[in-house]
Amino acid sequence: MTPARGLLLAALVVLVTALALYPMVGTGYGVRATLQVFMWIALAGSWNLISGLTGYVSFGHVAFFGAGAYTGAILVASAGWPWPAAAAAGGAAACVLALLIGYPCLRLKGPYFAIAMLGLNEVLRALVSYFEGLTGGGNGLSLPTLDATRSIYYVMGGLAMAVTALTYAIITSRFGLRLMTIREDEVAAEAMGIDTFRHKLAAFLLSAVGPGVAGALTARDQGYIEPLSVFPLAVTVTMIVMVLFGGKGTVWGPVLGAVALFVIQEIVWARYPYVHPLLFGAIIVAVVLLMPRGILGLLQLRYRLPRTI
Amino acid sequence: MAVLAVDGVKKSFGGVAAVNGVSFALEAGRIYGLIGPNGSGKTTLFNCITGLERIDAGHVRFKDERIDGLKPSQVARRGIGRTFQMIRVFPELTALENLLVVTRGARADAERRGREMLQFVKLEGLAGEYAGNLSYGQQKLVEFVRVLMTDPALILLDEPAAGVNRTLLNDLLAAVARLRDEGRTILLVEHDMKVVMGLCETVFVLDHGEKIAEGPPGLIQADERVIEAYFGR
Repeated sequence: MTPARGLLLAALVVLVTALALYPMVGTGYGVRATLQVFMWIALAGSWNLISGLTGYVSFGHVAFFGAGAYTGAILVASAGWPWPAAAAAGGAAACVLALLIGYPCLRLKGPYFAIAMLGLNEVLRALVSYFEGLTGGGNGLSLPTLDATRSIYYVMGGLAMAVTALTYAIITSRFGLRLMTIREDEVAAEAMGIDTFRHKLAAFLLSAVGPGVAGALTARDQGYIEPLSVFPLAVTVTMIVMVLFGGKGTVWGPVLGAVALFVIQEIVWARYPYVHPLLFGAIIVAVVLLMPRGILGLLQLRYRLPRTI
Repeated sequence: MAVLAVDGVKKSFGGVAAVNGVSFALEAGRIYGLIGPNGSGKTTLFNCITGLERIDAGHVRFKDERIDGLKPSQVARRGIGRTFQMIRVFPELTALENLLVVTRGARADAERRGREMLQFVKLEGLAGEYAGNLSYGQQKLVEFVRVLMTDPALILLDEPAAGVNRTLLNDLLAAVARLRDEGRTILLVEHDMKVVMGLCETVFVLDHGEKIAEGPPGLIQADERVIEAYFGR
């Protein structure tokens, strides 16, 4: 192990310990905000698995978040499941949805896939509004009151770590390299014997679990969900901007992007509520124009850092 | 027994018959050339063999198994490797990673074989460099050894000599001859007649999607139809 790597690992241990102790001393706002950061890390990291690595841009990734939220909420509210089991079920439901939608849609080439995913999200939102008996329709769904924010904090933190660890494991494996060949040149990848469809599908399934679990956890934490609150396109856009900002196809890019943009968002949101969407738009334009690879991507090229940084 | 048997293969794009009823057979351990003027259907034929294009009619058999209709990755996994006319390395993967992605089995073994391959084409010093940063000739070599990493029985080379300097070219041609000596079969598309004449035992000539001649290079060069196809009457 190189000294730099050792130092990085030590810093990581200190950080995780500090975050684990934080709910004991933190304010209610602080804990909630950190919980939100965990959620964004899990979402951005998951989007990175399919879109950052294979280049298949998913414009409907929030669909998995929403599917997980509704699955979890229904199981808690109607079937009386404990929330941790409902969260796991939310992840599983998102994975099943990814299989159903990925099987036909991942045969489409890049831009068509992006549009199909955008459509999926709208269809899901319409469906949950329609099936009122199960989902409460436009009135939304209320969960029994329960203050579990501190427990959910730990589970969401664990989810963020799990997604990041999974990203590390994938990027350092040949499976991860094969996913990148799809982004680099899908035809050549096929001609070299890489079954690109199966690889894309595997990455897509993995990328759906995190948002599914995060959706179910968020539903439990907030105690109330409605179609508009769990299927907003803005959430997908936020995931995308976070990953692009931090560096797509890297391990730490989504983490960096999620933390940085969340902090910026909170500051701007509190002071200038009306320019907040404008600022987000400006960041997208600036990133695409000035550093399409994001912060880490830029550093990697300049200083020849590995993708795992 | 033929390693590859192409039988009456047809492929049209709109009204253009790019490949129009081509048949030939390749024996193991030989080097074959595929020549013809621009647009005669050489690359399309490669694409038909490797599954990148679905054929409209005919069969392709590899080791007595029908492979037309298979996905490109399935064709490749059965032992047909290819290079492309326009280089298709994975630019944001390193030279070594370009080779690793096609391997299976233990990773340490794969890395060792990958480094050996890079050494073989004198690129071992650039193993950790992004393939996109390499020169055209170097990328061509990476693409060439990437095919070899899959241990193919049949190798299709689309213009291996184009854009490669003379020294490098001689190394490349020596490598191709060695592959033949190992019992592999090579089919190459090439415009450089010196390469074709020096290396190939049998040459097929395509014109307007049809095979107009087949034979040893010496005879092909004298064939009236071939001369006509290339130079006109």
